[in-house]
Amino acid sequence: MNILHFAWLLGRPAKTRLAPQVLTVSAYALVSAVMLIVLGGAYSFTRFEAEAQGTYLPLAGFAVVLLIVPLMVLGSAAARLSARSNDRALSSLRLLGATGSQIRSVAILQASGTALVGALAGVLLYLACAPLASLISFQGSPIGTAIYLPVWVLVAAVFAVVGLSAISAAVGLRKLMITPLAVATRRSVPVPRWIRAAITVGSILVLSLLFTNLSQVAQSIAVVLIVILGGFGLGMLILNLVGPYLVSKVAQSKLKKAQTPQQLLAARMILENPAESWRQVSGVAMASFVAVIGGSGAAMMNATSAQEATNTWYDYLPADVLTGVLLTLAITFICVAASSAITQSASTLDNAELYSGLHRLGMDWGTMNAARVKSLMVPALAASIAFAIASTLLVLPLAGMAVIFSPLTVLTVIVAVLLGLVLVRISITVAEPARLLASRE
Amino acid sequence: MLENSFGHPPVLHAQNLYRSFGATTALNGVSLEISLGESLAIMGPSGSGKSTLLHALAGIELPDAGTLLLNLPGQPPLNVQELSDRARTKLRRGSFGFVFQSGLLIPELTAEENVAMSLMINGVPRAAAIAQADQALIALGLAGMEQRRMGQLSGGQMQRVAIARAQVTGAMVVFADEPTGALDSATGAEVLETLLDCTVGQGKSLVMVTHDPSVAAQCDRVVKLHDGQLISDSRRGTSVSGGDVR
Repeated sequence: MNILHFAWLLGRPAKTRLAPQVLTVSAYALVSAVMLIVLGGAYSFTRFEAEAQGTYLPLAGFAVVLLIVPLMVLGSAAARLSARSNDRALSSLRLLGATGSQIRSVAILQASGTALVGALAGVLLYLACAPLASLISFQGSPIGTAIYLPVWVLVAAVFAVVGLSAISAAVGLRKLMITPLAVATRRSVPVPRWIRAAITVGSILVLSLLFTNLSQVAQSIAVVLIVILGGFGLGMLILNLVGPYLVSKVAQSKLKKAQTPQQLLAARMILENPAESWRQVSGVAMASFVAVIGGSGAAMMNATSAQEATNTWYDYLPADVLTGVLLTLAITFICVAASSAITQSASTLDNAELYSGLHRLGMDWGTMNAARVKSLMVPALAASIAFAIASTLLVLPLAGMAVIFSPLTVLTVIVAVLLGLVLVRISITVAEPARLLASRE
Repeated sequence: MLENSFGHPPVLHAQNLYRSFGATTALNGVSLEISLGESLAIMGPSGSGKSTLLHALAGIELPDAGTLLLNLPGQPPLNVQELSDRARTKLRRGSFGFVFQSGLLIPELTAEENVAMSLMINGVPRAAAIAQADQALIALGLAGMEQRRMGQLSGGQMQRVAIARAQVTGAMVVFADEPTGALDSATGAEVLETLLDCTVGQGKSLVMVTHDPSVAAQCDRVVKLHDGQLISDSRRGTSVSGGDVR
């Protein structure tokens, strides 16, 4: 069997799978463009004086690293969506004698092809957005033409996106069973271990104590930066330990209180796989960390530098950190929104037969959609609120002082988080069962 | 009100139903009356239009032409064709029950929640809906399985949950599409008996698509379709064919 030929036959643009194809390519294009803009911003820092570069480049590198996680989630979801939108064809190939690994190769090639188209579109989108991004100011002046990356970086970025998508597609496809009769998603009911939560709560308390002492000696911007980065790194580690437990606890509470069909269904959908629910919204929790820790740091630096101007690059750092925090929030939410749209679309296609059947039985599309939206937004809000509280506890004196000395900065960050959540909510309208399933028929 | 030969007023009255999909004619002038308390089996080869007829009678799909009147006891007659999609959805969840081959049970929910869901959609508070669902499950021999999820039930048990869901709302007409198609013969016979007890046994109507003659033989009446046309309509002991079919 010529795998490339089959991948093209099944993956080429077709009316019946137009919606998932456009969605996946758009998501890849968006994330690629965002990544290139971040890289362009980082690249522009190389024109700063050496001492400033020492501070700015690690922070920019950090923002680039932040993008890899949502990109991987996106790749995995895109591969599953691609396989789902081709389920009949892939099953038929199995029936005709193709092996599981041949089918997976076809699906990975399809996902990589989609990622390639998306990444190339992303380059165009980056070039279109670059004039706007070049207006962003660091060190007191706009980025300007420094936003334009060398061609080799563009090429490398496209390869990186395709490579990451292929790897995550391979991982994502392990969750699908492509049999001669159907494509099915492996279901499991993992039980989040309370021990994990206990360890995490203990860690938070210890870290909070540590940071309380550190902040007392944080007299310089450098120490504040260490506090910010250290808090963030440790917070990220805790994040994935406690996330699924938190999501399942919130869903259990929602289940007890559920009075409407959509509330009941949403709670059960979350409890079906809390780890998967968490994975979808972990970016929101990450954004909360960035917002609280970065925002507090920016606010404090703002308040400190207002008192003592040095007429050096240090003077611009507080404003630049705030710009960086807001940009990181925007980027994170764009990635979460894109991967949510993809994941939710894959989930809608996964449950296509059930949704259509329930509609035949008399359930409104609206009820099913409300349940689906709640199953994402409840964990998203829980993650956002819980991790905002947790990260505030981590840097309590810093956060407290930030509210007192620079309330406008804190308010700006809070508004950015709220706008981000609205963006995620809007993005998943593309996965409405009535719309997506109608376009499939 | 007119009565048909079954001795009950027709609860569903379909006249000259036509439905085509592209060049394929699925229903070609089908007329049919279904009485309250009657069990009707729809038979025919694959592609004969059985499921399309069931979907048309249940208001799931509108025919291209023809009329469908619904005459439920204590309610004014309804012309189903004139209802909006939303109104037909409401009609299905309130007045009809469904048992399909695949069950269409929500895997994330427990057995009692699957049954209660149809009541909650109709506005019944959760506690009351769960209580009624439990009663229905116990009545169908599923005591102790209320909290089980679909993956923890056998095929026959899942179909009983689907039957409980179809009858818990008090629907006067239940539509079934190959309800025993995925079951072994012994389990299928048990499920069929339960389905008949819960419908015609309680004065409700049952409209069932089936390939299986032994299943159809349990019904009061069997209609056969071929290429979208009704070619025979037989009641136990009588038979009408071709153009005489009404």
